[in-house]
Amino acid sequence: MKRIITVFIFLALAAGLKAQQTDTVKKGAKKETSADSLLNAMSPEDKPQDVIAAFKASRLILSPTTVTVKKNNLNFLVIHRFGDIGTSTGGARTLFGLDAINDVYIGFEYGLSDNLNIDFGRSTIGGLIELGLKYAVLHQKTDNSSPVAVTLLGQTGVRPYGQFTTFENRLSYLGQVIISRKFTSALSLQVSPVFVRDNTPIPDLPGNEQQFFSLTAAGRYKVTKGMSILVDYEHPFSSFRSGANGFSDPLGFGIEEQTGGHVFTINITNARGISEINSLSGSQASYGRGQFRLGFTISRMFDFNHKGSGYK
Amino acid sequence: MKYIALILLAWLTTNQAGQDIYTCKNAKINLYSSAPIEDIAATATSGASVYNAATGELAFSVPVRDFHFPKSLMEEHFNENYMESDKYPKATFKGKIQEHPDLSKDGSYPVTAVGDLQVHGVTQTRTIAGNLKVSNGVLTMTSEFMVKCADHHIDIPAIVFHHIAESIRIRIAATYTAYKKQ
Repeated sequence: MKRIITVFIFLALAAGLKAQQTDTVKKGAKKETSADSLLNAMSPEDKPQDVIAAFKASRLILSPTTVTVKKNNLNFLVIHRFGDIGTSTGGARTLFGLDAINDVYIGFEYGLSDNLNIDFGRSTIGGLIELGLKYAVLHQKTDNSSPVAVTLLGQTGVRPYGQFTTFENRLSYLGQVIISRKFTSALSLQVSPVFVRDNTPIPDLPGNEQQFFSLTAAGRYKVTKGMSILVDYEHPFSSFRSGANGFSDPLGFGIEEQTGGHVFTINITNARGISEINSLSGSQASYGRGQFRLGFTISRMFDFNHKGSGYK
Repeated sequence: MKYIALILLAWLTTNQAGQDIYTCKNAKINLYSSAPIEDIAATATSGASVYNAATGELAFSVPVRDFHFPKSLMEEHFNENYMESDKYPKATFKGKIQEHPDLSKDGSYPVTAVGDLQVHGVTQTRTIAGNLKVSNGVLTMTSEFMVKCADHHIDIPAIVFHHIAESIRIRIAATYTAYKKQ
């Protein structure tokens, strides 16, 4: 009995001593405190997340990006391509082509979900009306479990005016796999294999292919938080679309500026056509002949999710 | 007998060390910007916090990506342009509560935390007032304070100046439970 009492006294003393000890240890530790380490253990540390904003807009200069319009958002696009800067129709007389408009594209992109968009657009060239679906299959992840983002795009284009023997001959199709990677917060690159099918070849010349593959490559480099430099290049694998037949690969350089809900792009390209169906099929303008032009894109995002700020 | 004493000793000491620490895994943090053109609000619900009642230490950590905005473009701009959440994924506070409220009694105690607030990679020493409520061993801490964007080197471009306030109001609500060692 006596023994038990002594053990208990010892125990009580030891416990008190131990508590005191931990207390002084805690007071002594300056930076990495117990609360800190516990907090670090608790925090959901680096849960892999989607890499966002590889590009500011759903389009660069020639190509669409992997970026989709988010659910219940509507992106309204106005795209212009002016006349040649360096040919006889250019120069100061037409204010370097600004008096002549080669192509105007007016389009809408709506987010059915965060990953699925429905697109509609109309171009001046060929009066081409396009309807498309864009689907983000894969998102780049912060932990590189997915190093790239992959988005699929399918479009059908119809040329409602002009002389065609059947309705089918008015149609064009485009299928595209867009693969992008945001390498740093400033640098994003993308490549994209494209398949184009024109039931009536564009341009409708003897020997021109109805269908062909293309590869496009594009990049953006963020100079400031709002401003980026863009480069965009397209190469159709088509034996008819050669330099000898007057074709030239579309190549664009641009500056992109983001201001709130707007994204503005000012660019120089040789391609006259804005729609990919047009630019891939029929780019017969070359930098070497002075056939390059100014262009711009205005992209305005409308959000229909919440009217107010949602603050309770 | 000795073994029982040892087990008792172990139990007593762990119990003693554990009972002063309170944790919260779902602290609610709300930010609100009031500017001439629009009011913007966002809420994060997975803030983590630890409060050591013995020493007064208080630590908060919230993933910046956890703030959700009513408009998806706002959320993108918040992460991409202003907070640069890929570079600075967390906002934290590490400090001490100056008062030593008696947590064994239910009640509401005004408290003041002094410590380092780190937002956008920039640390500011702040004194933040709040309230600590005790009810049946459950602690609830609430606070409301302002954070100036410029203090944390968050640049607001001139073109959106009328959309985003210079000072952002932060509201915090965290409910703590006593931390149990596994």
